[in-house]
Amino acid sequence: MHPTDGALRRALDEPASLPDTDRDHVATCAHCQHVLSEATADRDCAQSLLTVDDVHLSLDAPWQRLSDSIAAQPGAAAPAAAHRPRHRKFHRATVLTAAGAVLVIGGATAAAANDWLPVFHTESVAPVTVSASMSNFTDLASIADLSDLSAYGHWQELSQPQLRSVPSADAAQRRTGLTVTPLTDLPTGVTGEPTYHVVDQQTAVFEFSAAKARKAVASAGGTLPALPPALDGAVLRLQAGPAVVRVWQQSSGVPTLVTAEIGAPVAQSSGVSLDVLRDALLSLPGLPPALAAQLRAVTSDGTALPIPIPADQFTSSATTVGGASATLIESKDGTLTGVIWVSDGVVRIVGGPLSEAEVVSVANELG
Amino acid sequence: MSSGPGSVLRPDLEPVFRAEYRRVVAAARRVVGSTAEAEDVAQEVFLSFAHTDVLADQARGWLLVAAVHTALNQLRGDRRRDARELRASPAHDETAVPDVAETAGRALEHAQLRAALGRLPRQQATVLVLRHSGLSYAEIAAHTDLSPGSVGTTLRRAEAALRQEMSDAPH
Repeated sequence: MHPTDGALRRALDEPASLPDTDRDHVATCAHCQHVLSEATADRDCAQSLLTVDDVHLSLDAPWQRLSDSIAAQPGAAAPAAAHRPRHRKFHRATVLTAAGAVLVIGGATAAAANDWLPVFHTESVAPVTVSASMSNFTDLASIADLSDLSAYGHWQELSQPQLRSVPSADAAQRRTGLTVTPLTDLPTGVTGEPTYHVVDQQTAVFEFSAAKARKAVASAGGTLPALPPALDGAVLRLQAGPAVVRVWQQSSGVPTLVTAEIGAPVAQSSGVSLDVLRDALLSLPGLPPALAAQLRAVTSDGTALPIPIPADQFTSSATTVGGASATLIESKDGTLTGVIWVSDGVVRIVGGPLSEAEVVSVANELG
Repeated sequence: MSSGPGSVLRPDLEPVFRAEYRRVVAAARRVVGSTAEAEDVAQEVFLSFAHTDVLADQARGWLLVAAVHTALNQLRGDRRRDARELRASPAHDETAVPDVAETAGRALEHAQLRAALGRLPRQQATVLVLRHSGLSYAEIAAHTDLSPGSVGTTLRRAEAALRQEMSDAPH
C-alpha cells in the first residue's frame, strides 16, 4: 500500500518519519517515485520563492522601539503621538486627519531619561492663525512640521512614520494601546464599517547647533544673535503617537467621516527651559513664519498645543466637547468641518463633509 | 532597557527578542516582501508576546506562527498592495531598506508570490511559510490544529498550489 502524499512529502524533509516497511516499498514503487519526484519539484519551487535575502538587522533599534511601544501602552508612563505619513497619497479627508496628527507633533517632544526637563505636555489645543497659502491639505501638514528646524541643528526621526491599515478595531487597539470607542450614532449618510489605520509611536530628536544656525542665518544675509550658552548642543526630544484613524467612506471611495485619536504629545529637553528655547528660536532670523507663529503661541506652562490654521482657507472657533474646550475648524468653502480637542491624555479629531452639529455630536460620543 | 513602567511583562522578553527577532522578521518578510513592513509585523508580534505566559521553549513557534498570521492578515487586508508592488521598483519604495537584490524582476515575483499566498487557503499558506521558515513538522503541529501527518498533507497541497499559481501568473 502506498504511503500518503503527505507522508511522502514529510519524508523528503524528515526521512526518519517514514517507517522501514514504507521506505522499502517506496524504493521499488514507480507510483511512489513519481509522487516523490513531483513533491520534490514543488518543494524546490516553493523554497526558491520563499527564500529571503540575508539582510543584516540591528537589534538595538528595534528593541528600543518595542520598549517605547510597551511604555506607551495604557498603564505605562510614557505618552505618545503620531507623525505625518509622508509620501502617501490619501483621500482628502483622511489627509485632514493625518495632518491633525502632524499638527500635534508640531508642538511635541518627550524623553524618558531622568535628567530630561519636561517642557511640554499637551492638555489642550490652541488655534494659531497663519498666513500660509495652501494648495491642498497635504500643505496643511507641512506647515506644522518641526523638521523646519533642521537648518538650525540636527533633526533626526528615530522611527519612520507609516500609516498602516489594520483589519479591525481590536487590531488597532492591540497595536496602539489606544481605546477605540465604537460609534453608534453616526450622521446621516455615514454608513457601514470604517477602515482602520494606525501610526506607531514616533520619536524625533532635535539638537540645536549654534554653528549650523550661524551658517543658516548668514546665508540669509543676517547675523546670529547672542544666544544662551546652554543652548548650543541642547537636545529636544519629541515623542508622539501612536494614533488610530478610522475612515468611513461611500462605495465610491469618498470619505464621509474620519476620526483620529492620538496619544497626547509631550516634550522634554536636556536642561534648557521652554521659555529659553522658545525665545532663542524666535530670535533667529529666517524662521519659517508658520513655525514662528506656533512658537509664539507656546505658553510658559507648556500645556496648550498650538495648531496652525491657514487663514486663507479655514476659520476656527471655540466650542466644547464633553465639557472640554475644543477648536472647531471649518473650510471657507463650507465643504469640510472638523473639531479637535484633548481628553484623557489623547488628542482627538473628528472631521468630514459634515455640519458643525454633526461633528460635535460624533465628538461627544467619543468623549 | 527593562520592561515599561507599570506594565506586567514577561521577564525573559529581551533575551527572547534578541534570540528570535531576525527569524521573526524573515518569516514575515516571506509574506509581505519588504524588510520595513516585516519589521513592523515583528514589532506587533513581540508586543503581543510581551504579555503572554508562553513557555520559553515554545516561544519560537509561537512567535513565528503569530508573525505569519499577522503578515497574512496584512496581506489580505490591503488589496492595494499588489497593484502597488507590481508598479514598484526599489526607488519607489521609500520605506524599504535598500536591497540590491530588490530588482524590478524580483519585485514582480514578490508581488506574484504575495498574490498567490493570498489565494491559498489560510491553513495552507500558514503551514507553507512556517515550514520554509524552518519549523519542523512537530513544531508546526504543536502550534496549529494539525497533526504532524496532516502537516505533510497540507504542505504538499500548498506547494503544489503555489507552483501552479506561479506558473499561471503573467510573466
